Amino acid sequence: MSDAVLSAQAVRKSYASGDATLEVLRGVDLEVQAGESVSIRGESGSGKSTLMNLLAGLDAPDSGTIAWGGSPDTGARRRAAYLGMIFQSFYLVPELDAYENVLLARRILGRVDADARLRARELVSAVGLSGRAHHLPAQLSGGERQRIAIARALMNRPGLVLADEPTGNLDERTGNAVVELLLGLCASAGTALVLVTHNAAHAAKARRSLLMTAGVLGPPA
Amino acid sequence: MPWYLHLAVRQLFPTGRRFPFFTLISTLGVALGVALLVIVMGVMGGFAYEIRHMIVDTEGEIQIVAHGLIGDAPAVMKRVLAVPGVAAATPYARDAVMIKFGDKSAFPALRGLDLASVESVTRLSQYLLVGSLDDLDDDSVILSDQLAASVGANVGDTIEVYSPLIINKLAADAVFLPRQVRVVGILHIGHNQLDSSTVYGTLRLTQDLYGLGSTVHGIDVRVTPGSNEDDVVARLNAVLPEGIRAFSWEDSFSDFLWVLNLERSMIFFLLLFIVIVAAFSVTSSLLISVVRKTREIGLLGALGGRPIQVAACFCAQGLFIGVLGTAVGLALGFSALAVRNHVVLWVARVTQREEVLRRFYQFSELPAHTSGATIALIVVLTIVISTLAGLLPAWRAARLRPVDALRNE
Ligand SMILES: Nc1ncnc2c1ncn2[C@@H]1O[C@H](COP(=O)(O)OP(=O)(O)OP(=O)(O)O)[C@@H](O)[C@H]1O
Ligand SMILES: [Mg+2]
Repeated sequence: MSDAVLSAQAVRKSYASGDATLEVLRGVDLEVQAGESVSIRGESGSGKSTLMNLLAGLDAPDSGTIAWGGSPDTGARRRAAYLGMIFQSFYLVPELDAYENVLLARRILGRVDADARLRARELVSAVGLSGRAHHLPAQLSGGERQRIAIARALMNRPGLVLADEPTGNLDERTGNAVVELLLGLCASAGTALVLVTHNAAHAAKARRSLLMTAGVLGPPA
Repeated sequence: MPWYLHLAVRQLFPTGRRFPFFTLISTLGVALGVALLVIVMGVMGGFAYEIRHMIVDTEGEIQIVAHGLIGDAPAVMKRVLAVPGVAAATPYARDAVMIKFGDKSAFPALRGLDLASVESVTRLSQYLLVGSLDDLDDDSVILSDQLAASVGANVGDTIEVYSPLIINKLAADAVFLPRQVRVVGILHIGHNQLDSSTVYGTLRLTQDLYGLGSTVHGIDVRVTPGSNEDDVVARLNAVLPEGIRAFSWEDSFSDFLWVLNLERSMIFFLLLFIVIVAAFSVTSSLLISVVRKTREIGLLGALGGRPIQVAACFCAQGLFIGVLGTAVGLALGFSALAVRNHVVLWVARVTQREEVLRRFYQFSELPAHTSGATIALIVVLTIVISTLAGLLPAWRAARLRPVDALRNE
């Protein structure tokens, strides 16, 4: 076992569609070292989101192994502390204001103390929204919502952030700013990042770029 | 507070927004059911309670009666008083008489009281509007207020009392004279029947009028506070001579109580349906909420929330609505009970039926009595039903796999 933040070996996943089975992942290998940033590109439907869900422990692979920091435990309890997730749709809880959405990640993990509140406030400032901390998601723009989602992903000081097309719903300028922010915050916190994106410029900003083709992850063409 | 409870509270009362519609309507639905249960159970309970109260205040908790007359009253009294749990006892005689004042007459019941002991068993003096029990002697009576009004007699007047003994005397061609007695008090109990047809005199007076000698019709008993009436009744019956039995209020009115209880249970059950229907609306609203929030529920899973916790979040919303609705409903219900007499009087006045109300209703006020057990039952049932209402939505939410929920567009 390696002590990589994340390691996937020979991961396979297929879906039954009617009589046929759709082989989405055909043996994916991936190692992400601490603090490293990795981008994944690939055609729509190539299995990027499927892989991310497996890496996050939200779904089980048909075969192959996934380990976080060398341990195969990818249960809900460990996930809350070990990794942060960011999605194309921001998935903020509409009844909670920006600050409480960030704090929610800690609440699910356990007790909220003064330290946690301070960290949530600092993160809201770090993503540039200190003035909007007590606005509801409905009162924020798309870019602002994604910033809050980034703050939430970083709330529990995870070793790894998985971001699946975080700029998919944003215009180019806003998207650029969000990716810069995400890379910057992860780099300064020493958090590893796996970034799925269709944008070549965004992908190029990661230390390592990979391409998903025919259910296998490889170096870009 | 665990995150799922925090989130449940926030979904019912979102930050910075006013009371949302869903919470308001659901709470009101439950509250209405609870309020109606409290009001109706209160008024129905008041009926039985008031009758019991009145009987206990005028006749004690336990009545001892014989098939005919109780011959050796002092000996029976001695036995009764020796029974554990008996605080006091008073013998009485009772029969119908005719009274006459001027050209008006009436046929009330005369109850002969043993002045030495009556106040240790009954609370008659509390019901005296004018005069006092101390003024009563063998040549005076106390009239119930409606009776006094109907014959036009007042305190200080002298009325004539005729007993059925007259018939015997007439048959024997004897000369008879009605008994002349003074009115020394006016009594108001609050029960139509008693207030319109009761005369209180001394035991001696009654025994004279009926030629009873020293026999009595019965003995009223007050039990010591805290002792069980049924136990005392059982102990009394063990020591009472042949032909003399003790009855508690519940015994004497068991048929009436049974019917009353059946009626109460039926109505409780029917009114509970308001709470159940309100709970159904909570269920359907929460189900819609689960469907609408599919992706957020997926996110909670992705953030490390366990299915059971997600379920708890929705169940708790049912619970909170139940608790809130119960609190509001209790407040509404008790407020309505507090002003019930004003409402009844107002309706009577508006419809110009005050006199009818007084004549047909047993009591001069609409009674209400709410037992703690009934309230506890209402509270527990409402909260349980509301929590159950959250169960189906909770199960739906818990069944969602985060991967599928997040994929849901
Ligand atoms: N639950 C599922 N059941 C059946 N098929 C599925 C399921 N999830 C994904 N697929 C299929 O797997 C394939 C890969 O889907 P996935 O969402 O991983 O693609 P993607 O690379 O993320 O695409 P995009 O860039 O458009 O987001 C698709 O053909 C999709 O239809
Ligand atoms: Mg995708």
